[in-house]
Amino acid sequence: MKQLSERIKEAAFGSLSSGQVEMVIGWQKGPLWWQSFPAFITDPGETASLIWDPFSVSNLNKYLLNEVPKKKIALFLKGCDALGFNQLLRDGRVEREKVLLFGIPCDGLVDPARVEATGLSKGLLQVKKEREELVFYYKEGQRKAPARDFYYSKCLSCRYPNPVTCDEMLGEAVPCQPLERFANVSKLEAASLEERFTYWSRHFSRCIRCFACRNVCPACSCRECIFDIAEPRWLGKAKESGETLFYHITRAYHVAGRCVDCGECARICPLGIPLAELNRKFIKDINELYGEYDAGADLDKEAPLLTFKSDDPDVSA
Amino acid sequence: MKRIGVFVCWCGTNIANTVNIEAVTEAAGKMPGVVYAGNYKYMCSEIGQSKIKSAIIREKLDRFVVASCSPRMHESTFRKTAAAAGLNPYLVEIANIREHCSWVHKNKGEATAKAIALIRAAVAKAARDKELWATQIPVEHRALVIGGGIGGIQAALDIADAGFEVDLVERTPSIGGHMAQLDKTFPTLDCSACILTPKMGEAASHPKITLYTYSEVEKVDGYVGNFEATIRKKARSVDLEKCTGCGICWEKCPSRVKSEFDEALSMRKAIYIPFPQAVPNVPVIDRASCRWFTREKCGICRKTCPAGAVNFDQEDEVLQKKYGAIVVATGFDVLDLDDFGEYSYGKHPDVLTSLEFERILNSSGPTGGRLLRPSNQSPPKNVVFIQCVGSRDKSRGKPYCSKICCMYSAKHVILFKEKYPEAQAYVFYIDIRTAGKDFEEFHRRAVEEYGALYLKGSAGKVFPDGDKLLVKGVDSLSGHALEIEADMVVLATAIKAKSDAPQLARLLGISTDTHAFFMEAHPKLRPVEAHTAGIFLAGACQGPKDIPETVSQASGAAAKAIVLLSKENLLSDPCVSEVNESLCTGCLACIKVCPYSAITEKTIEEKIHGKALQRRVAEVNVALCQGCGSCTVSCRPGAVNLKGFTNEQIMAEVDAICL
Amino acid sequence: MSVNLKQGPFEPLIIAFCCNWCSYAGGDLAGTGRMTYPANVRVIRVPCSSCVSSNFILRAFQRGADGVVVAGCHPGDCHYTSGNYFARRRFLLLQRFLEFLGMEPERFQVHWISASEGNRFAAVMTETTEKIRALGPNRKLRDTR
Repeated sequence: MKQLSERIKEAAFGSLSSGQVEMVIGWQKGPLWWQSFPAFITDPGETASLIWDPFSVSNLNKYLLNEVPKKKIALFLKGCDALGFNQLLRDGRVEREKVLLFGIPCDGLVDPARVEATGLSKGLLQVKKEREELVFYYKEGQRKAPARDFYYSKCLSCRYPNPVTCDEMLGEAVPCQPLERFANVSKLEAASLEERFTYWSRHFSRCIRCFACRNVCPACSCRECIFDIAEPRWLGKAKESGETLFYHITRAYHVAGRCVDCGECARICPLGIPLAELNRKFIKDINELYGEYDAGADLDKEAPLLTFKSDDPDVSA
Repeated sequence: MKRIGVFVCWCGTNIANTVNIEAVTEAAGKMPGVVYAGNYKYMCSEIGQSKIKSAIIREKLDRFVVASCSPRMHESTFRKTAAAAGLNPYLVEIANIREHCSWVHKNKGEATAKAIALIRAAVAKAARDKELWATQIPVEHRALVIGGGIGGIQAALDIADAGFEVDLVERTPSIGGHMAQLDKTFPTLDCSACILTPKMGEAASHPKITLYTYSEVEKVDGYVGNFEATIRKKARSVDLEKCTGCGICWEKCPSRVKSEFDEALSMRKAIYIPFPQAVPNVPVIDRASCRWFTREKCGICRKTCPAGAVNFDQEDEVLQKKYGAIVVATGFDVLDLDDFGEYSYGKHPDVLTSLEFERILNSSGPTGGRLLRPSNQSPPKNVVFIQCVGSRDKSRGKPYCSKICCMYSAKHVILFKEKYPEAQAYVFYIDIRTAGKDFEEFHRRAVEEYGALYLKGSAGKVFPDGDKLLVKGVDSLSGHALEIEADMVVLATAIKAKSDAPQLARLLGISTDTHAFFMEAHPKLRPVEAHTAGIFLAGACQGPKDIPETVSQASGAAAKAIVLLSKENLLSDPCVSEVNESLCTGCLACIKVCPYSAITEKTIEEKIHGKALQRRVAEVNVALCQGCGSCTVSCRPGAVNLKGFTNEQIMAEVDAICL
Repeated sequence: MSVNLKQGPFEPLIIAFCCNWCSYAGGDLAGTGRMTYPANVRVIRVPCSSCVSSNFILRAFQRGADGVVVAGCHPGDCHYTSGNYFARRRFLLLQRFLEFLGMEPERFQVHWISASEGNRFAAVMTETTEKIRALGPNRKLRDTR
């Protein structure tokens, strides 16, 4: 990890000082052990503050949508971010010539909640990764534990730890050992209708409609989102279960066939709603009905909802 | 505030018997935006319509709803009523309270409640109706015909005879196509050249037709009525004007290459006309095999040309021309037999495709019409014809029936037997398909008069045996395995789409089916039109066809083109999609679902925080859009909207109908 | 909610989006042939089944529909050639998704009804109404306001 941090700084410094790019988007450490925030750096002198640590989870590529660069912008992509980048590219939201992509192989990132759950967070100053282990630093010393025990669940089922696209890869490719990603979907499918309804209504009842799941999503990049449009008012403002359901169905439906399964929606949700399962239901069905399709990775295939076969399975009852 | 009128029709007793008209009228009068509600016995009658017109004026209505029969019945009637009263005709909505209500329900209370709900939805929709205007699109009165086979020639002649200019573009040095290669035609056995060459001559001399042979269409822009095509006239190296077609050049030319026209069964020169009746009768230099162009030696043709027509410096010429309509008649290819090794095709000279056999039969073909075995120039005694080579064959060939093989094989049998009455013809077939005028009779003649032995079954293998060919097959009717000693084997090779058909389809913005044949707009009702308005299809480029079918379709395509070309302006239906550029993100999903290639991308510039920013958005060509609305659903933020059925309108209908 | 009489037995509200060229015409033919079906069904005319957005379907449920039917030309017969092929994919995914969330699958149905199938139109609408009547009111996707 240390080494990668160094390479990130070098790459940022090199591309900025050579004038190749006008800005670098990376991560900087926040005041607390679990805080690694997106950073926007234009001064080569500031590149030393960039880091790569087990909390560099934010996907940086959606910040590109705010920028109108004259030259290029450099940014760092993990495996999941690269898929999202490809989706933005396909949606015509970023210009490939306007970015310099540094790829970061990543075998998983740490979920602070899991650290807290084990009690290791008390007095914790810093967490570092050393090979397969996490090292927890305290005033009085350090402790070690297997890193994978603390990874986000989205990382445990990650199928593309190494970026599928970039201009320069920083670091060695890491092995891929994903857990079955449809396990929860299959489990729910096996449950009864009423069980499923109860399961989802309990989750959705917590939704505060902060739209974080949409905002973080690399497949949600509309200039103006259907949920924000006033005329027609598709989504009502009231805190109302029907409206919330409309929101969640429509959000998932809009990314059907486009969702890269980066898991950011579920990761970002402050209420812990398992949003990725909604997306995965669509992915699973698409794979079963229309053939395997990996948004963000299958660049030569047409998006499944923008094509058809005359002998597709029928929908008629 | 809108001023909506509602007119409830009794339709005599058709509606009034089941729906409480008074209750409905009263309810309608209270709906939001409604300032007048009335009813009458027959709203569609003259009196009914004048009641609407006077109410429009008296009540200052700015839109209205008619609650009556299906809009499929009288929507156009009431739109005219609106226009007559000075209202835009698209400010009218119909609530179908007859077919969808009074005729299908018996309970008066239920039917009345439903009628009110249907009217409420129509009122909600009408409140969001906007004035719509049909756009006028000027028409360029010239047609482009791509492909100079019999289909293209026929289409060009028909369009030209109607008085419109036609440019006929043909890739090879001469028009004529596959039909020029044929000896006789079924089921009449007319000489193919005898019926084709007059048409070729007619096309060449027609004052309205311009031939562009040895030319290709490189690019097509624009849309119905206003296409702009880029045509590359490849350098012939011979001046079309000066050349007299005397033939000295190709007599003297020392380079010999395989003749495409003779299916490689004979040699042609580097400067050549593909066949004696070629139109234009002006040679081209095949620069790839010409000694001047490959080695800068020779130049005999230039030296010997009495007209001084040979011009080695000639360059490709690129033309840009405008057209109102395009007819595509690019024909077919014959399936490549690489995957059919069992027939020894390509390994033994006496195994031929049907088209090669056709050339051998042809009196102007490589053998001068003498039917002899290519291996030793001896007369054949036994000839085996194998049907469905690559047709109706899902695994290695094409799943479809090539349609013409049964008939041309019967023709081949007859022509063969005419030459050698003592010889024997065998035909291996799966089924014999002779659906066509005089086709079955023709086939029966081959069997009964000419004694061809038709064997239902497959010929599994052909291999050389001494100086003969041994054909192993099965007669599936008797179940016997057969071994036939043949002098020649003729393979009825499948027809396939031109190998570059997908490229042409992309260039024209039309679609192809799974076998790369061009898709018609509707398989039953619009069989000669492509999806893209203004582009028409003729002949085998749309699917396997024989000559009469090709000619019929060509005339059909021509008639459609003439209808289009004879208009000064096209009126486009205003119920088409439109793009709200400020909402459009430029993902262009809409382009993918549009069946008419009516959506394209364009770049717009806008200022954001003082910076000029270019971005791409979708743009609808109103001349091409047919108003299906598929694009509206593909658009996540709702930036594409279908006029007449906008998102706002359908949503308002849903809200109103559920109340 | 007008069909739902405030008191008395449950009467479902069925909204049917019908394509102009096939299914709406099929509905017209049902009328011409006086083939009765329950008045619970209310039709909204659209150009093509591919023009029916999930937004409209969900909106109908929110506003009180107990069942929604989308009806279009048979696959292969679309007036616009390919619209219903796209619709078929969109709706099959939506149908399975709604079921995944715990919605009764009968509530959202897609049918291919040609312009000549008036009897089928009536049969589909009757059958759908009866199925939904048996299921009871839609409470899951409905606005509770």
